[in-house]
Amino acid sequence: MRLLTKAWTVGVALVTAGALAACSGAGGTTGGAGGGSADEPVKLTVWSWDGTVELAVPGFEKANPGIEVEVVNAGSSSDEYQALDNAIQAGSGVPDLVMFEYFAVPYFAVPGKLADLGPLGAAELADDYVPSAWNNVTIGDGVYALPSDFGPAVMFWNEATFAKAGIDEAPATWDEYYEDAKRIRALGDDYYITQDTNDLFFLLSLIWQAGGRPFEVDGTTVHIDFSAPETQKAVAFWQKMIDEDLVNTKISAWSDDWNRALNDGTLASQNMGGWLTSTLPERAPDAAGDFRVALMPQWEKGERVGAENGGSSFGIPEAAANKEAAYTFLEYFTHGEGLQPRVDAGAFVPNTSVLDSPEFQDVKNPYFGDQKTGEVLAEASNIAAVGWQYPPFFEWARSTYADIATPFYTSGEGSLEEVLQTWEQRSVEYGNEQGFQVD
Amino acid sequence: MTTTADVRRRGRLHTLANPRKSGTLTFLTGLFTLYCLVPLIWLTINSTKSQADFVSSFGFSFGRRFALFDNIVEVFTYDGGIFTRWLLNTVLYVVVGAVVSTFLAALGGYALAKLEFTGKRVFLFVVLGAISVPGIALAIPQFLLFAQLGLTNTPWAVLIPSFLNPFGLYLMWVFAAEAVPTGLLEAAKIDGAGEFRTFWQIALPMLVPATVTVLLFSFVSIWNNYFLPLIMLKDPDWYPLTVGINQWNKLASTAGNGELLQNLVVTSSLLTIIPLIIAFISLQRFWQSGLSLGAVKG
Amino acid sequence: MSATERMTRPAAASTLLPAGEPQQYRRRRTRQIGWAFVAPFGVLFALVFIVPITYAAYLSLFQDRMVGGPSFVGLDNYTKLFGDAQFWDGVSRVVSFTLIQVPIMLVLALVLALAMDSMRLRGMRFMRVAIFLPYAVPAIVSTLMWGFMLGVRYGLFGSINGWLGTDIDPFRPSTTLISIGIMVTWAFTGYNMLIFDSVLKAVPQELYEAAAIDGAGELRVIRAIKLPALRGSLVITVIFSIIGTFQIFNEPQILPSMVANSGITTYYTPNLYAFNLAFTGSQQGYAAALALVMAAFTIAIAYAVQIRGMRDALDQ
Repeated sequence: MRLLTKAWTVGVALVTAGALAACSGAGGTTGGAGGGSADEPVKLTVWSWDGTVELAVPGFEKANPGIEVEVVNAGSSSDEYQALDNAIQAGSGVPDLVMFEYFAVPYFAVPGKLADLGPLGAAELADDYVPSAWNNVTIGDGVYALPSDFGPAVMFWNEATFAKAGIDEAPATWDEYYEDAKRIRALGDDYYITQDTNDLFFLLSLIWQAGGRPFEVDGTTVHIDFSAPETQKAVAFWQKMIDEDLVNTKISAWSDDWNRALNDGTLASQNMGGWLTSTLPERAPDAAGDFRVALMPQWEKGERVGAENGGSSFGIPEAAANKEAAYTFLEYFTHGEGLQPRVDAGAFVPNTSVLDSPEFQDVKNPYFGDQKTGEVLAEASNIAAVGWQYPPFFEWARSTYADIATPFYTSGEGSLEEVLQTWEQRSVEYGNEQGFQVD
Repeated sequence: MTTTADVRRRGRLHTLANPRKSGTLTFLTGLFTLYCLVPLIWLTINSTKSQADFVSSFGFSFGRRFALFDNIVEVFTYDGGIFTRWLLNTVLYVVVGAVVSTFLAALGGYALAKLEFTGKRVFLFVVLGAISVPGIALAIPQFLLFAQLGLTNTPWAVLIPSFLNPFGLYLMWVFAAEAVPTGLLEAAKIDGAGEFRTFWQIALPMLVPATVTVLLFSFVSIWNNYFLPLIMLKDPDWYPLTVGINQWNKLASTAGNGELLQNLVVTSSLLTIIPLIIAFISLQRFWQSGLSLGAVKG
Repeated sequence: MSATERMTRPAAASTLLPAGEPQQYRRRRTRQIGWAFVAPFGVLFALVFIVPITYAAYLSLFQDRMVGGPSFVGLDNYTKLFGDAQFWDGVSRVVSFTLIQVPIMLVLALVLALAMDSMRLRGMRFMRVAIFLPYAVPAIVSTLMWGFMLGVRYGLFGSINGWLGTDIDPFRPSTTLISIGIMVTWAFTGYNMLIFDSVLKAVPQELYEAAAIDGAGELRVIRAIKLPALRGSLVITVIFSIIGTFQIFNEPQILPSMVANSGITTYYTPNLYAFNLAFTGSQQGYAAALALVMAAFTIAIAYAVQIRGMRDALDQ
């Protein structure tokens, strides 16, 4: 027994106190800089969870014999960002092109992990994208990514369910939306106009549309403020919707329950990014012919102001080996000839050349009752308001938001305003700890 | 699968090895068995549904169309048949990993039980202490170390950690202490056999039941290994099934124009556990047959 | 060894360390050859565990910052951790989870193993396979299945609530932990059962024959032979289960993407907290400190369990 005690102590000591021994692996990053040699074929590695990128590869390789492209799904969203952070830290395995949701661009760009694409030729492309999309990939004078898909906030509404509630057109304003919500709620226990289980991006798109700009970023200085009247207006409206039980707070977007509720028509509408157009038919196959797309309801009648909800872009890590070749491919599949095969496969892109084209606007979409959905989506893209910024630590902030918001959504105690205040406080603390100047 | 054995036994006398069956005990154990099986029944039913039926029919009822075979074909053909590649990778990781880890555990466990050497208790406590460190937090240091050794994105990054099975080491130790008579070992050594030959020829055959158990556990844990491959591998050509299936699943729940592949996720999950079921059943048969020297109860 | 000898010292197998044979034949020249046997395991173990742990310990002395890079902060991460309410929230959650879930699971596993070993079950081999099967299901798949099964709207609970007129939601903040317990018990009971089962298989048949000659009944055989034989593995499964539940990660990590507002926070369990700190929060140093403190906790508890196990053994 004594011996055991002793042996155990020794073992524990060995494990924990080994700290003092070697600190070898602590070396810094050794990013392989510089481009590939002109003689050898350059091999590009692209990290993407957007399946359409692959479609641009054959054409590109034919047109650029010196460059081979390998597209790899290195995980979606956070998984991929973590992998990139790891690779940069290890100094090996850094890909040449990486997919980022718009909010993740500053996270990598501000600490200098992304290359400025301006000198490579990106600066000239500004006018070829809808303004809001371009705004997403630029920080100061630098261009850190090129937009690859876009999420103009639009409303998907189930015409059949609305009709059941005696409504024959999409709500044009949020006031109408509120009235419609009550009528749909009256259809029965399971009926709601929409769901919200602390969906941060929806709330932000509401604020965005109302004109609130809670984050202001200038280099490493970040200003966070949720008290502006525009922001408050949006928050108060949604608070009212939740308080009056007009929003289902039990079904979360992207869950199995959500698919089913969309499918059986009990969730009557979604305010989401335009990209939902391509996946809604899979999620709600039985609702074929019922859904329609409309602009997001407006705060004032007759206005035409949009916002964004989601969307992504591709950038080149500072530590990537073949930046020039990478840019060549990047331009090809987000802007050049490689764009069309992706669009044909369902990618929703913010390039004006596509959005304004008759081929895009005139197509009737059978799932949406032969509505010309392209028209609506193009307009929603063009009117998406500019000037929105995400703080560089948004990746952290969005995971923390759920912690803070859950008690409100489950118990109904407190308010969205308090949630946002707490979030603001925590973000300020965290941002300063991370070396930013945040207030 | 038990009927032939039962039929044969039914005719026999109730003996020590074959006592009278108890209905109550069978019922209670059966309840627990049901709890274990219900989710698997769900999995089986749902793998017969098309994607459209999956989102629109109740979980324990069948869909409008029996799509099991369509789903299986789609699993194997989707994305250029990458599933087959993942399956082969997994088999590689499992076979090499389980065999090596079981052998190392047997070697170590036997030595700890039957050979006297200084510091062996320290050895156990270092092992126990180290596995108490949450693995998640070790992932980054492990990744950095493996990256420095040039092993990330290669099968070695999955294989090397899988060669370690601390619990297997412990089981082997316990089992060797109980089931291998020291006298027999001494006799072999007196006959002039070296330590390794003694282990190989005398001890290892007696360790077979524990070896099968450890092999099975290694097999399963490597088969289900998820987190480390996720961190270590970025090339889908080296993914094991779990990482691949998870990626399919995430396509559906990530906002954006991801494809909804729930029918593939469910069907591939079912396909993934079938080899485990087969392995278990075949190993179990082997396990149950009476083994070496009466050390094991038949 | 003979059956009677084993009967008279049933505690032999009950310590954590298996009791070795009497060492009267011990020979000096072979004393260190044991190291050659454990060396392959040991070397790999150093590579996969010891070096990374050492590196983590080094990292824990630094504070990471997105702007300005890491800076040496000594033991600040540790002092900060002890004042971190989120950390303690997670710790208290896993402690209470462990106190309830581990005993339930192990008692079930033990009873099931004894039932299997009694040879009194019909369809025993089928049930043994069936009970072990959940262990073979990858965490992502099992979470998917349970997420559906326990769903309130379209899942089983939807139907159950419909029949009973109740309003039970398995994934509210107050009930989520119970649901996770159901999932973990489902996954690991069979695993532990097999461990007990394989230990029971190692009990020499002569012991039972001797017991039968002495006229011992089934319960007496369990008390006098089987439980003592299981004690060593019981202690070790307790320790391993504690380590496992303290490190619980998969279920709370995957569930939030399946069900909303389940109350699973980024710091729901210490391991999840470490993950989120290291991966989404860029706070590797702090995460490393957390991991090492948790390891120290775990070791302390495992150690306490071991002492208890041994004291019980001595009381025999």
